[in-house]
Amino acid sequence: MSAIKLAFDAILEKKGRSFLTMLGIIIGVAAVLILVGLVSGYNADITAYYEKLGVNKITVDITYYDRTNTVDITDDLIAFIGDDLADAVIGITPESTSTGTLKYMANSNSTATVYFGNEQWSACNNYVIDRGRDLLPIDAAQRSRVCVIGTYVAESLFGYINPVGKTITFGGEPFLVVGTYYQKDGTAEDSMDDMIVIPYTHIRALKNTATVTKFTVKVQNADLMETVMAELEYFLGDTLSTNTSSYTLENGNDAMTESDEETASISIVLGGVACIALLVGGIGIMNIMLVTVTERTREIGIKKAIGAQRSVIITQFLVESSVLSAAGGVIGIVIGYAGSLILGKIIYDLILVPDTLVTVGAALFSVVIGVVFGLYPAVKASGLQPVDALRAD
Amino acid sequence: MALIELHNIYKIYAEGEENEVRALDGVDLTIDRGEFVAIVGTSGSGKSTMMNILGCLDVPTYGDYYLDGISIKERTERELAEIRNFQIGFIFQGYNLIPSLSVWQNVALPMSYQGVRKDEQYDRAMAALEQVEIAEKAENRPNQLSGGQQQRVAIARAIATQSPIIMADEPTGALDTKTGAQVLSILRDLNRAGTTVILITHDNGIAAQARRRVRVQDGKIIEDEILEEVSP
Repeated sequence: MSAIKLAFDAILEKKGRSFLTMLGIIIGVAAVLILVGLVSGYNADITAYYEKLGVNKITVDITYYDRTNTVDITDDLIAFIGDDLADAVIGITPESTSTGTLKYMANSNSTATVYFGNEQWSACNNYVIDRGRDLLPIDAAQRSRVCVIGTYVAESLFGYINPVGKTITFGGEPFLVVGTYYQKDGTAEDSMDDMIVIPYTHIRALKNTATVTKFTVKVQNADLMETVMAELEYFLGDTLSTNTSSYTLENGNDAMTESDEETASISIVLGGVACIALLVGGIGIMNIMLVTVTERTREIGIKKAIGAQRSVIITQFLVESSVLSAAGGVIGIVIGYAGSLILGKIIYDLILVPDTLVTVGAALFSVVIGVVFGLYPAVKASGLQPVDALRAD
Repeated sequence: MALIELHNIYKIYAEGEENEVRALDGVDLTIDRGEFVAIVGTSGSGKSTMMNILGCLDVPTYGDYYLDGISIKERTERELAEIRNFQIGFIFQGYNLIPSLSVWQNVALPMSYQGVRKDEQYDRAMAALEQVEIAEKAENRPNQLSGGQQQRVAIARAIATQSPIIMADEPTGALDTKTGAQVLSILRDLNRAGTTVILITHDNGIAAQARRRVRVQDGKIIEDEILEEVSP
């Protein structure tokens, strides 16, 4: 007749009511696990996106007030970085884009993004050459009609044929495919694989401007970002006349930091909501335990009459409320795991397993709730006078 | 030294108000070890209040109650629970068995509060059940038993701890004459074996089977008569 067996007997005797009592805890615990799981899934999703996009990038954007009075700083900028920032910077490339229709024989692709870059473009944007070769310095210098294409462009224009050595047209101009990049975004329309890079020196012919106004600088690591930003600031301030132009420098990591902060605040809000759910569940348990005390007043009276100490009665009710909420916690954890796995697969296509620490925490918290919210009813029960309790029906 | 001494006991509800009730109104009573006392009175006479006070289930408003020579007033709640547990076996009119426990578990319950070992609890519970001839129902639930059978289980619970005092509140009240007579004969046997038995009843016929009769009316003792000398 241990207290735990007694508690199980009492709980099983009223299965429906016990389940409804546990429901609050079940929902609370499941909600905590699922929400925390989904936030971590979202986080992983965002991080993966930024990693594909490339981290530690600085975007330089120059605006000339008078388009007929521009200075091309490409060579100076590349030279400055090569001289002064070689240790801190992985690469620099012009970063201009265009769209248009790409054609190979009867096939065409009009969704691809066309990048005007140099030989460092792929390094700056996290593309890796698969077949053939990447752009070379000489391609830009000689304005060679060559291009490197992403997997979706290769697939949409060539199917299973090796594109290297074939010629495609863009804006009616022929370009020889010299290489292809590895897939990095699922080979889908409008993805990061739906792209083509051509030497930036074609910009005059294809975009009707002689000047490159946008650059990407890829920095070695996040710690060097500020230093490189300051150096670029110094160079641009020195090189460009403020009368004719302005420029902006954008730290690509800022967006990621912002999204991290956003995720953290979402976690806090959702965690708070889940805690409120647990709290409400706990109050539900307290309510039912108070009802139980009233129902069992006579039983308490009998036990006290035949010699039960207060501690015996307190233990009985505390164990019962703890077993109730712990059982709710266990069911909640099972549902939480199932929910995380199912929703993670559906929403993020990831196998989301709830954090072990969060799981253990939720389990412990549910027991604590049982003890805390069971305490008042238990003390109330133990304080009944035997003669009053015996009179009850 | 007497086992039980009540000195000028009052139990007053709503004292000083218009609806003041004096359930006990200055009671003096002494009971020695080995007595079989019937406290008899009509409904509302105060006999149940007296039993509650004697059984340490309730405390008097005024007056002194000495059990084994020690004043109840000076006992803590914990000590009172111990007295009920070790000194007194209760038999109630409504049996007061716990429905969720089996028969033998009900009988073993007071022993579990005494810290008796589990196997010994079972052995002693079974012995008590055999004494009242209901051992074959040990695994049943109380609600599967007839009224007379339930009262036997309640008696078994009261005697299993070998308490020196048995207090029975209308133990035959809910039983037919024949089963009632059996219950009384068990009580007489217990008394013959040395247990002090205090029987509360409204029935003069039942009270006549005790060795001493104390009649209560309006909270006062109006008669105290020895019916049969205790044989040595």
